Amino acid sequence: MHNKMLSYRSKKMKLAKLAYLLAVGTALSLAATGCRKGLDKTTNIPKGSEPTVGGENTAPPRGATDNLGNTPPLVTAPPTTVEPSTTTVAPPTGPGIAAASDEQFSNWIENRDEFKAQTVYFDFDQSNIKASEVSKLEEVARRMKSSFQGKALRIEGHCDERGTEEYNRSLGDKRALSTREKLASLGLDPKMMPTISYGEEKPADLGHTQAAFAKNRRAELILLSPPK
Amino acid sequence: MNRFYVTWIPLALLCLFAVTSGGAERKVQELKVYGEYDAMGFLKPVPVNVSGFSGEADSVLKFDLLFMGVQHVSMDEARFLITGSNGSRVEGHVTDKATKKHLFGKAYAGVSTRAQVHAFADDVAMLLTQTKGIAQTKIAFKVETGRAQSEVYLADYDGHGAQSVTRDGSIVAGPCWLPGRAGLLYASYKLGNPHIFSHVLSTGARAAVARHPGGNYSPAISPDGTRVAMILSKSGSPDLYVANIDGSGLKQLTSTREAESCPCWSPDGRTICYSSRERGATLLYTISASGGSARHLPTTGAPSPTEPDWSPDGKWIAFTSQASTFQICFVRAEGGPAYPLVEGEDPSWAPNSRALMFCAGPDHSKHLSLLDVPTKQVKHVARISESNSQPSWAK
Repeated sequence: MHNKMLSYRSKKMKLAKLAYLLAVGTALSLAATGCRKGLDKTTNIPKGSEPTVGGENTAPPRGATDNLGNTPPLVTAPPTTVEPSTTTVAPPTGPGIAAASDEQFSNWIENRDEFKAQTVYFDFDQSNIKASEVSKLEEVARRMKSSFQGKALRIEGHCDERGTEEYNRSLGDKRALSTREKLASLGLDPKMMPTISYGEEKPADLGHTQAAFAKNRRAELILLSPPK
Repeated sequence: MNRFYVTWIPLALLCLFAVTSGGAERKVQELKVYGEYDAMGFLKPVPVNVSGFSGEADSVLKFDLLFMGVQHVSMDEARFLITGSNGSRVEGHVTDKATKKHLFGKAYAGVSTRAQVHAFADDVAMLLTQTKGIAQTKIAFKVETGRAQSEVYLADYDGHGAQSVTRDGSIVAGPCWLPGRAGLLYASYKLGNPHIFSHVLSTGARAAVARHPGGNYSPAISPDGTRVAMILSKSGSPDLYVANIDGSGLKQLTSTREAESCPCWSPDGRTICYSSRERGATLLYTISASGGSARHLPTTGAPSPTEPDWSPDGKWIAFTSQASTFQICFVRAEGGPAYPLVEGEDPSWAPNSRALMFCAGPDHSKHLSLLDVPTKQVKHVARISESNSQPSWAK
């Protein structure tokens, strides 16, 4: 009986010990995983994850804060210069007259006054040459043939601000090209008529009225003389 | 004695395991969307309350979340509590208010407080909306620096940290990103006529992609970065062309007598959407990138659509309607009724197909703005100089 009681008590003690161990173990594991809401991990944002802009253009503009923190120093390679070169005029494809290369005229001398009075004006969102404008182009063609042989004519297409930027770039291009087509039909050599569109970049009138818009929808004709 | 160990020790170990794995359950969240969808299929904003952050961290976090499908409400109305701190580093937590279940907790280090907060905002967006966040994305845009003078800039999507990319003292137009933010394509008048250049950001290296007679402008890079669509007038009229990204392999896609403009790519790279006056009025068209016939894309209710941009998820085309004022609208990618959004022009979708960047304001005084399409929430973006336009969101 005594032995039984002894073994019972030792068993009880062992159970108590185990329960104690279990409690400690549970407490430890709870502490390890965190009763208070802890952080699963830390994310380190790597340096150099920002796009670096190399070249002399790297100074931040006035008023803006450079806040890229510890990004690595910007590579200071200047943007490569793209030099003009003479390009040949592509053979005509599609329904229009192939555009003239403008680069061969890049150092020709500009005269913006000669045909200022013959600036061609367009209706809103249109690129066709109006009947009222044709006489101007007839005069330009006549004078080019009689007085300015060997000279070229740059045709600049412009738009008012009521179109979006890239839409207007395309519309201004079309205006310059349709002016050129008309002049070609009047006998001028299309290869000597480079075109360029400025879209809405260079308004003649900075106003926002209908009158101002009308002045901006234009093709300007610039006489080009070969360099001496 | 042996029976004791066989029974109780394994039981003890089992209990220990159960407790620790219960804690690990917190790390493995069920990935489910917590919100509902509206009639157009956009996720309705998830209501949260943000607290614990101060100064720039607080304002940046709240700004970011607005464009990622999260709205700020009072503690009472919130479904999730976003808490944290920004001392030496940003720490952020997300808790389910009703169940008090801690869903997420992380600390962020490195670069700047702003960058850390953006990273946390993206983590919150992924957790609550199952969509990759946009808080760490970038934009490129045009800055007018003088009369008929403009440069390409890039910045964080919120306009912060702007840097100039060009300094040519010429006119630039239409910047767009190469994949991986390695570089840009843009048109520049540096050599007289507009030509399209590629520009590697880290080295400044530039190469001509399109330098044909006539005009070369409006570049649009295919989503896989291997091709470029653009408008060239070399044939005598502004037409749509496609080439390899270096400009080789030029292929003419349109040859109308009218002007094409503003190409953009479908996210699968198979279709190009653009505007054209080929029927006498400005309309949107789609054409296969490998050539074929153009298909009119109706935008019913929105006149003179132009500047289309295709959402990265393929569902929508945003565009500018050139009405008495410019209006940003969007239409289903297959065409149909156009939904007006906000006064402005030149939309560029965010990678999450939910937010849009656009510009608004009079010529020479334009500013960039952000729009959350489903809620129509608009916020201005930090402005550089007098006039910023033509945003391009890096996808």
